[in-house]
Amino acid sequence: MNKFAIAQPATFEQASKASVDKLYSLPVIKAGGVDVLDHLKEGLMEPDLLVNVRRLRYNELGPAGAVNPPIRFEGKQILLDANATLADIAMSNITLGQSPVLAQAAANAATPAVRNVASVAGNLLQRPRCWYYRNNQFACLKKGGNMCFAVEGENKFHAIFGPGPCHIVHPSNLAPALMAMDATVHVVGSKRTSLPISELFHMPDKGILSEHNLEPGEVVTHVTFDVAPTSGFYAIKEKQSFDWPCVFACVKLTMSGGTIAAARVVAGAVAPVPWELAAVAEKLKGLSKADEAGIAAAAELAVQGARPMTGNAYKVAMLKVCVKRAVTIALGGQVPSFSEIRR
Amino acid sequence: MSEATSNRPINLGSSMNDQATRLDAVAKITGAAKYGRDVYPEGGVFIRFIRCPFGAASLTSVDVAAAKAVPGVLDVELTKKEDGSYKEGQYHGATVGYIVAESPRALHRGMAALACTWKRKTELTTSIDQGVKGEPEVPGAAADVLKDGPNVFEAVYSTQVQTHSSLETHGVSIDYKGDRAVVYASTQGTFSVRDGLDQALGMPASNFEVVCEYVGGGFGSKLNGAGKEGLTAAKVAAKYKRPAYLFVDRKEEHLDTGNRPSSRSSVKIAYEKDGTIKGGHVFTWGGVGPNKGGGGVNIPSQRYSLGRVEKGHEDISLNAGMPRAFRAPGHPQGAFAEELMLDEIAAKCGIDPLELRLKLVKGDVAAEMIRLGAKLIGWDRRVANGSQKSVIKRGFGMGVTSWGRFPASVEAEVNINRDGSVEARTGTQDIGTGQRTMVGIVTSENLGVPLSAVTVHIGRSSLPEGPGSGGSVTTHNTAPAFMRAAQDARGQLLELVAKRAGGEAGDYSIAAGNIVKAGAKVMDWKDACSLIADAIRGRGKGSQKTISEDKTTGTSNGAQFVDLEVDTETGVVKVNRIVAIQACGRVVSRKLAESQIIGGVIQGISYALFEDRILDRQTGAMVNPNLEWYKIAGPRDMPRIEPMLWSKDKETAGPRSLGEPPTVPTSGAIACAVFNAIGAPVRSLPITPDRVLAAVAAAGGAV
Repeated sequence: MNKFAIAQPATFEQASKASVDKLYSLPVIKAGGVDVLDHLKEGLMEPDLLVNVRRLRYNELGPAGAVNPPIRFEGKQILLDANATLADIAMSNITLGQSPVLAQAAANAATPAVRNVASVAGNLLQRPRCWYYRNNQFACLKKGGNMCFAVEGENKFHAIFGPGPCHIVHPSNLAPALMAMDATVHVVGSKRTSLPISELFHMPDKGILSEHNLEPGEVVTHVTFDVAPTSGFYAIKEKQSFDWPCVFACVKLTMSGGTIAAARVVAGAVAPVPWELAAVAEKLKGLSKADEAGIAAAAELAVQGARPMTGNAYKVAMLKVCVKRAVTIALGGQVPSFSEIRR
Repeated sequence: MSEATSNRPINLGSSMNDQATRLDAVAKITGAAKYGRDVYPEGGVFIRFIRCPFGAASLTSVDVAAAKAVPGVLDVELTKKEDGSYKEGQYHGATVGYIVAESPRALHRGMAALACTWKRKTELTTSIDQGVKGEPEVPGAAADVLKDGPNVFEAVYSTQVQTHSSLETHGVSIDYKGDRAVVYASTQGTFSVRDGLDQALGMPASNFEVVCEYVGGGFGSKLNGAGKEGLTAAKVAAKYKRPAYLFVDRKEEHLDTGNRPSSRSSVKIAYEKDGTIKGGHVFTWGGVGPNKGGGGVNIPSQRYSLGRVEKGHEDISLNAGMPRAFRAPGHPQGAFAEELMLDEIAAKCGIDPLELRLKLVKGDVAAEMIRLGAKLIGWDRRVANGSQKSVIKRGFGMGVTSWGRFPASVEAEVNINRDGSVEARTGTQDIGTGQRTMVGIVTSENLGVPLSAVTVHIGRSSLPEGPGSGGSVTTHNTAPAFMRAAQDARGQLLELVAKRAGGEAGDYSIAAGNIVKAGAKVMDWKDACSLIADAIRGRGKGSQKTISEDKTTGTSNGAQFVDLEVDTETGVVKVNRIVAIQACGRVVSRKLAESQIIGGVIQGISYALFEDRILDRQTGAMVNPNLEWYKIAGPRDMPRIEPMLWSKDKETAGPRSLGEPPTVPTSGAIACAVFNAIGAPVRSLPITPDRVLAAVAAAGGAV
């Protein structure tokens, strides 16, 4: 690990300035520090300045000087502080009741220890877990090299969508959930003050060295979105403790009486970005909870355009199941589940 | 009693001491216990190996001068061949040299400054399948058996590489003090470290002590004496006349400290429809390191009557880290293939696999265990393979295990000091299995004092000699030695008592720390001990010669039963319950014995479902040398594990082996249960969701 200075900005604006401080060759923003530390340990980057934003809060004080909680209502919308933790989201009554897809996505990630420090912004902006990217011996495309080693190598956990040339899957559990809810990402440090989350990420052919579209100096302050009480999440993981999903799906439904008036369906761990499944959403319209065959038929459309690699075709079957189950969960239905273990 | 342990009363009364917890539990939990890795001697240097980053590569350029110019870097050593070129790396993690520095930071910067460039070789063997040259020829005798059939079952089973993943990585920390030294080692053999270091350290063994009071796991990977970590650190310490610290990191631990090699078992077995097995041919392959050896697969296990089986084996050299002994080497691989094979044959015959095993298993004890285990797991709820119509399907499976008895020499010493304190002393290490506690219990029971009165000294080469922790030998060889030592000390003390109080030593006994005569207390412990002139040294030995006297002969049989569920749409396997019946003769400590069984089962579950060393087929690099993608079972993957100590022979037997047998049958039993649930076998470990889905599809779909 190299030597670095650490900046402790008092505001997001100061953090923004520090993150582009010309006195340093590589300033890097650190929130929970989970992903930054992994990079430092493997020698994947050598920042000379870490900008610690972990303690910053967006509009920390509310009316009468009361401290605002990291997850709260702002008007009719839900507001997530950039530094709200995954544990906050997993346990907040607001998210549990009004955006279950997000609460479930947060609860499913990593371990209690990680969830207690991992932040919303850090989760969205973390780098991919591709094992070639994470190994400093592989000069892969993401590190300025000239080939993706996964194509001819070990790609069991890589993408089944997208033309490449890099085949990572986006690592964020929260991003697909927030995409399904059309969240807005609020920033400081540039002319714009916000962007829709659908514009936060790009595919590898639009820039391979990073996964997001933030400009230098832009720092995420908070995220807002409309309530989504009829929403659901389903992930398939090999291990039920501390594992990355093989595939997961996030669903937000807008109901009209007992039927689906509109839907957003976004899959995770299948593409370099959160993968929107518009055809599934369209097909879900007009269906009700009882229409299991219709839901299954809609889920079949999830894999349109899938181009599995040599070792990950299994994800195609899994994706259909995840979508079907996430829709069912959103509708308050029962999905197959294992017996409780009496210990 | 809480719900969580309600399955344990079954074992109450099974051991010398049912209630004792680990003597070092608090020290371990609070961090007071110092492992070798925790010891940073003042003024020491730090060492790190330079390692090959690919399956096979040669070092084409390296900037030694730049590395040496980094402040704090003391030395760079690169191994050279006779022609002056650098030694080639034959696997990812192979060491080609090392670097020495004043601090970990200087080490890191020096390593970066070396700027090694490597030329990769493209001809690599990264899997057994790649190295297998066609199916083996069936020898004549087996061919005859197979020809007669009447039915022949053929299948190929394979298992992955499992790394030991000890929590404490390999290494030593040497506190070098001129003409003497203390070597803090993470090892399974205190004395094997001492025996290999004198030359490298440049001093006689009399001048240094090996200390390993606490060891963070080994599972067989720390039986290699001082290892290259120890030898290198000793050489550096001797060269600089300074303390030296060399512990590898997590990545290196996966790459170059051993593993359970991969296996492939091809079986061709003749059978009758009534379940009689006539024999046939079994050929196995082991996926080992660059050098052949260590890849054996234990099938047939000899636990079942399988007729006349001809066996062949070949090791396949891989461009990958070498195997080492791993908790029952070769056995889980073989048991997985054998147990699943039996379930598949049972299905062909239309026989309940439990009935087939009762027909084939050797020995009454094993049959009795199978019947009991079936009852405990609720085998009567098992339905025909793949017959359930639900998405979540339940499955039951079983497997058996056995372990022999290996001798080892142990010298035990039980001292009673004049102030009344008691010391039990042996150099043998505690690798987490409970040696320290076991020694304490045996001493307390045989001396007649409470466990809390015994101070146990272990894990130092200055203490009486004991064996390495390999082959499940420590308890059954050590316990008898401490029985004798404690009884010797007790006899000596009672002689003094008799001399003072009259009568014969045989008139007295010791109970709960008091001197007793005819059932009545006659003297305080302290008063008795004040009769000691200096100190009483009780001695005892355990060895090959004392086996029959110790009653430690005999097999440690066991049987495990699995109840699990498979989600046939997602491929996820959830183990609900595992009943693990295990004989180990006389049990010293109920809790530690249960813990040993539970640990074996957990390691077996992890092997069955998750763990896998994944090599990049292009470069030979291990892509998952971490605990993120090298997946080890976690809390939410745990079933309810019910260890049952087989205590039928506890009164007549001494302790028997326990460390290895409980991890042997688990993966096979899980594979059988998955087969039962989905109706198609998954013949490769680990049984991951992608493989389950493929098997479900082969069996005709989810529901």
